[in-house]
Amino acid sequence: MKTKRFTPIIALAALGIALSAQAHDPKEHMKDAEKPDCAAMKNMDHSKMDMNDPVMQAMMKQCMNDMHHNDSEKDQAQADHQDNEKSSGEQHSEHQH
Amino acid sequence: MSALTTFIKSLVITAVIVLVGGGLFLYSGLYPMGADVPHNRLTYWLLETLRERSVARAASDIKLPGDLNAPERLLAGGADYNDMCAGCHLKPGKTQSDFTLGLYPAPPNLTLAGDKHGHEHADNTENDDPAIKRQFWIIKHGIKASGMPAWGPGHDDERIWNMVAFLQRLPRLTAEQYQILTARSNSSVEHGH
Repeated sequence: MKTKRFTPIIALAALGIALSAQAHDPKEHMKDAEKPDCAAMKNMDHSKMDMNDPVMQAMMKQCMNDMHHNDSEKDQAQADHQDNEKSSGEQHSEHQH
Repeated sequence: MSALTTFIKSLVITAVIVLVGGGLFLYSGLYPMGADVPHNRLTYWLLETLRERSVARAASDIKLPGDLNAPERLLAGGADYNDMCAGCHLKPGKTQSDFTLGLYPAPPNLTLAGDKHGHEHADNTENDDPAIKRQFWIIKHGIKASGMPAWGPGHDDERIWNMVAFLQRLPRLTAEQYQILTARSNSSVEHGH
């Protein structure tokens, strides 16, 4: 009896979860995402750029984010590289003893 | 009295003829349904009027958010536009695609201002509230038998408003600006919801 009462509730909850899982997630597109071509900004006519224009602000934000993202990736890669060198150095010295 | 009876009789006979004729035409299969044959003027006008009146009525109560000009909205909406809409509604530097050539009615070229992309009612000029509400409603609910899907079931209102915000700027974007704004970066993902 109890099972019968809860069946529609469970079915509705399951349907809700299934439908929300179908929602289009922006992260799905990250794999094939194109990087912003921020170098193109250098060739734009800077005298005509209005810093109060939302388009200009959005472009600046996009390119700043991209630069920071690249910098942090580089830092991470450099840190990883240093860690690897350090650990290989330690291993090397252990082998010498 | 006899004049009234004659009038009513004529009215009934006319109604029967119209109904029977319409039914016969409907079942005859004579109307061309292929997307490569345009509607006749009367059908086009009827369908367009039906669509525009319905959208205008349904969209009239929509409340616009106050921050449609926020750069974050342009970045989030631009990335979604590029992924979901540009195939049919084009991007700066493109004048046609397989979809614009094959769909009927042809999807409007949203890189052009409202008065230039062939939709008289879609004047998406700045601060044109009815046009902005119309865009939101169409993106959310789609249009029957036109190829325009309803994005509402998989996308929340904020995400649709982001796309609407981007559409207000699209007609004035260069190809370079479009590329930068629509590239899907971490910031566009963060502001996507």
